Amino acid sequence: MDLLSAQGLGMSFGGLLANHDISFEIIPGEMVGLIGPNGAGKSTLFNCLAGLYKPTAGRILFQGKDVTGFKPYEMARLGMARTFQVYVATGDLNILENVMVGSFLRTRSKAKARSKAESLLEKMNLRDMAKERVANLPVAAQKRVVMATALATDPILLLLDEVAAGLNPKEIDDMIGLVRWVHADLHVTVILIEHVMELVMKLSHRVLVLDSGQLIAEGEPSDIVLQPGVIKAYLGERYGTQSSSRNSQGA
Amino acid sequence: MATMIQFLMFSVYGMGWNTIGGYGGQVDLGKAQYVGIGAYTTAVMMIRWDIPFWMSLPVGMGLAVCWSFIIGYPLFRLRGHYFAIATIATSLILKDLFESWSFIGGARGLKIPVKGEMPNFLYLQFRQDYYYYYIILVFFFIGLLYMNWFRQGRLGYQLRSIKDNEEVARSLGIDAHWAKIKAYAIATAFVAAVGSFHACYNFNIEPEDTMSLDLSVLIALMAMLGGAGSLWGPIIGAAVLVPMKNYLGAWFGAKAGLAGLDLIIYSGIIMLIAAFEPRGIWGMISRIREKRARGN
Repeated sequence: MDLLSAQGLGMSFGGLLANHDISFEIIPGEMVGLIGPNGAGKSTLFNCLAGLYKPTAGRILFQGKDVTGFKPYEMARLGMARTFQVYVATGDLNILENVMVGSFLRTRSKAKARSKAESLLEKMNLRDMAKERVANLPVAAQKRVVMATALATDPILLLLDEVAAGLNPKEIDDMIGLVRWVHADLHVTVILIEHVMELVMKLSHRVLVLDSGQLIAEGEPSDIVLQPGVIKAYLGERYGTQSSSRNSQGA
Repeated sequence: MATMIQFLMFSVYGMGWNTIGGYGGQVDLGKAQYVGIGAYTTAVMMIRWDIPFWMSLPVGMGLAVCWSFIIGYPLFRLRGHYFAIATIATSLILKDLFESWSFIGGARGLKIPVKGEMPNFLYLQFRQDYYYYYIILVFFFIGLLYMNWFRQGRLGYQLRSIKDNEEVARSLGIDAHWAKIKAYAIATAFVAAVGSFHACYNFNIEPEDTMSLDLSVLIALMAMLGGAGSLWGPIIGAAVLVPMKNYLGAWFGAKAGLAGLDLIIYSGIIMLIAAFEPRGIWGMISRIREKRARGN
């Protein structure tokens, strides 16, 4: 059975079609990349899947159950976690407390929530910063906090929104290792939105390409980069050079 | 002594406000309606049916919590300023209803008659203030212990997360709407309990002094001045503002034409907090402490 299945998904804001007739399946244990130029509708699609938006057309099945129009907290309880690209941390929660908020989804006990959060922070090399506020951290650490918080909810499916944006090459390598660990050791199925092609190419079993709200291609990373339509729509120069570097419109 | 009692009362009001206003970040300017519900429940039950304070206290809290659910459900569909204005509206509507309801004395209010010999612990009737002082002191400590537990519990964390970023909180599995309603109900119970006490302490209640907008604003202001979202904030706020209120009231009240000036001063304080230190006095203290800790 598919873990997740989108069937003719559409989302329009007034007259603007942000997502149009998108259908795809995710198999348990997959790692899928979701790419496309800015404004292609990637984050909108994530928001529909995670229940933040109610799709205006189509259906979403999660573990065979119709979850179209479910609330975000209901999706989280069913095992879907979504990270956000921009983490606005203005408040007074420190890192440990942030992660604890995630673990409180599955427990009422403060002690249990705390020990789970601490072990996640340990794994993510954030132990020493547990008492810091998120806003005071370097970007790479912020991204790890966001991941740790999402993982604390014990997801089956994790939607990662640009976890590598703003990272340097060394940090991107670390992030790749981290996502692999989540996928292999925690057995979490992952869909990732990413502009950093290196990460998408190294991690994804399969790539979905969105452009102007539509799914224009789907396939293995090595095949996807050769499709003219995809190259034209978006791919970064490094992966587009072989065929038509001048055509890339880049993001 | 009267000032101390008022300080403790406002501290507990502020603690209640702090659950939803401070930890939850939902600015509530309608707390007076629950003071009114608590005070009137106790007064009416005492006058009509001779029911002692300790029995009317939970009834008043229960009624207030019921009312908070009824209005909380639609109110928390609103955000930010809209929510704040709606809380003012519900509070004023309830006040108008009370003013025109003759069963509970209408606009002239109610006067609780003396029941038997004083000191009367059942009906909370005392000649000397210190009895009241010790009773409200017990309320204060119970409130403080509860708040300390609350802020470290599941709901406390969830509210702080909602305040941080509601969208993120919701995708972490928090039913934000329900969490706010729950916190609002807790806030209500605190406020209604002190409302009941207020009825016995004053013997005399009327909609104007238990349910006015001034009272709602003052409760919110004390908590914000002291530090919204911190354990000690409402207490610090009450410690500063209650003496100031009494002093200003006496001073301006004596001079004709200056009666509203204290309100202008309060609004000035609100602007200062908003502009310079949203975390209030407690925010300043913790900032200084953090600096010291780094210096060492």
